[in-house]
Amino acid sequence: MKLRTTKYFIKEGTSNLRRNKVMSVASITSVIAALLVIGIFFIVVLNVDYAASALESQVEISVHLVNGLSEGIINAMSGEIEAIEGVKEVVFVSKDVALKNMKQKLGDKGYLLDGLESDNPLPDTFVVTLTNPQKASSVALALNSMSSIEKVSYGKDELEKLLKATYVLRMTSLLIITILLFISIFIISNTIKLTVFARRREIGIMKFIGATDWFVRGPFIVEGILLGVTGAVVSTALLGGGYLYTVNLIQKQMLGFLALSFMPFGSIITSLAFLLVFVGIVIGAIGSLLSVRRFIKV
Amino acid sequence: MIELVKVNKTFDDGHKVLKNINIFIDKGEFVFLVGPSGSGKSTLIKLLLKEVEPTNGKIVIDGKNTTKLKRNDIPYLRRSMGVVFQDFRLLQDKTVYENVAFAMEIVEAQPRDIRKQVPIALSMVGLSKKSNLYPKQLSGGEQQRVSLARAMVNGPSILVADEPTGNLDPEMSRDIVKILYEFNQRGTTVLMATHDRDIVNAMKKRVIAIEDGVMVRDEKRGGYFDEA
Repeated sequence: MKLRTTKYFIKEGTSNLRRNKVMSVASITSVIAALLVIGIFFIVVLNVDYAASALESQVEISVHLVNGLSEGIINAMSGEIEAIEGVKEVVFVSKDVALKNMKQKLGDKGYLLDGLESDNPLPDTFVVTLTNPQKASSVALALNSMSSIEKVSYGKDELEKLLKATYVLRMTSLLIITILLFISIFIISNTIKLTVFARRREIGIMKFIGATDWFVRGPFIVEGILLGVTGAVVSTALLGGGYLYTVNLIQKQMLGFLALSFMPFGSIITSLAFLLVFVGIVIGAIGSLLSVRRFIKV
Repeated sequence: MIELVKVNKTFDDGHKVLKNINIFIDKGEFVFLVGPSGSGKSTLIKLLLKEVEPTNGKIVIDGKNTTKLKRNDIPYLRRSMGVVFQDFRLLQDKTVYENVAFAMEIVEAQPRDIRKQVPIALSMVGLSKKSNLYPKQLSGGEQQRVSLARAMVNGPSILVADEPTGNLDPEMSRDIVKILYEFNQRGTTVLMATHDRDIVNAMKKRVIAIEDGVMVRDEKRGGYFDEA
């Protein structure tokens, strides 16, 4: 497409917007509302993913041993476990240390465990950390085949629950985002329909003096894209500000530990801006194409 | 140049607007298409512009069978023809100059060609001095002259005029026909639908008459009526 044709499209498209000020503002507002909701879902999904992967990387396997193993056997086992592929580190926690740790965790209520020293119900444990969380099940399998081991556990259920919740959340967001996209396309297409209707005579004239369909559509597509992109920029700014504010608020309050699993602002704002501007362009273009369709057939 | 072979057009409601039309117009001819309102003149023009499709039959323009034309090629067919209508169809928010230049912008002409051709077209219709006025500041005859300039600015080989004098008084009408005649003298094939009998009788050009969708007459140097 020639540069001056593009210039013509932009000039006409912007003048369409100005001519139709009230409707333009109204539809930008509606697009902002829709994109805000889309953006919120996007932020939530990103953060849940982020938290899930943080959790995944913390996967440890605890290996409970049968009672009364000698130090020699324990050392030998430790070596054997370290040799399993995917194991990064093996730490032995004796039953006495485990009891002490538990008492510490309970704090004031530690006295509840008094008297258990002579008959400690906690097992001796190896805490195994992994080079890669995806190796958890294969390492667990290898551990299970060893003798003198009572139980191997690695939070498999929790991990699966989290992954399942992420999946449900993703699907719900996808559904809601799709519905909102359709609504935004409808809003934009309605606004542009007004311009198209006001200029239907002009479209007819353009067509009979030999303008191609794309030449007629050009200015309306520019108009639609401008509506979409303006909405996208405003909603990105609002969401970015809102995100910073919310994260700060949570960090200042006693909820500080939650903030650890929030995505940093810098990485979220870039992907959000790209997503919303892209969505803005697409809904703007589709919306305008839909509204010109009927009048262009001359 | 323009050829219609066994063309029929029946509207969706079953009304037969054109029945077995056969017309051959050669390069450089000046042809009047006459007939009462509702006789099918306008439909015939719409068929040439491919605004409507013939029910059957063949239409050849400039060597191309337009009945087989794809939708995307219609604009290029229209660029080979200049068109003028009874209601002028000018853009009210553009000046005379801009209205004519617009026809060149649409075909993505070079700006320097636009600056060169538009004044030439305006001087051909005698409106050089009014190029900065808006259509509503002009008389009907002047507006039609703007639309003639617009139709001719891209140098089409065919000019189709649908009742170009229908809204004009006799004096203005004569001006318009004079300009059409000048275009014809420069080699443009002109087809003018009209029911202005004075003009037709005065020009003594080829006349094709349509009544109730049927071609009733085709005379080399005819008048509005047989006896004229």
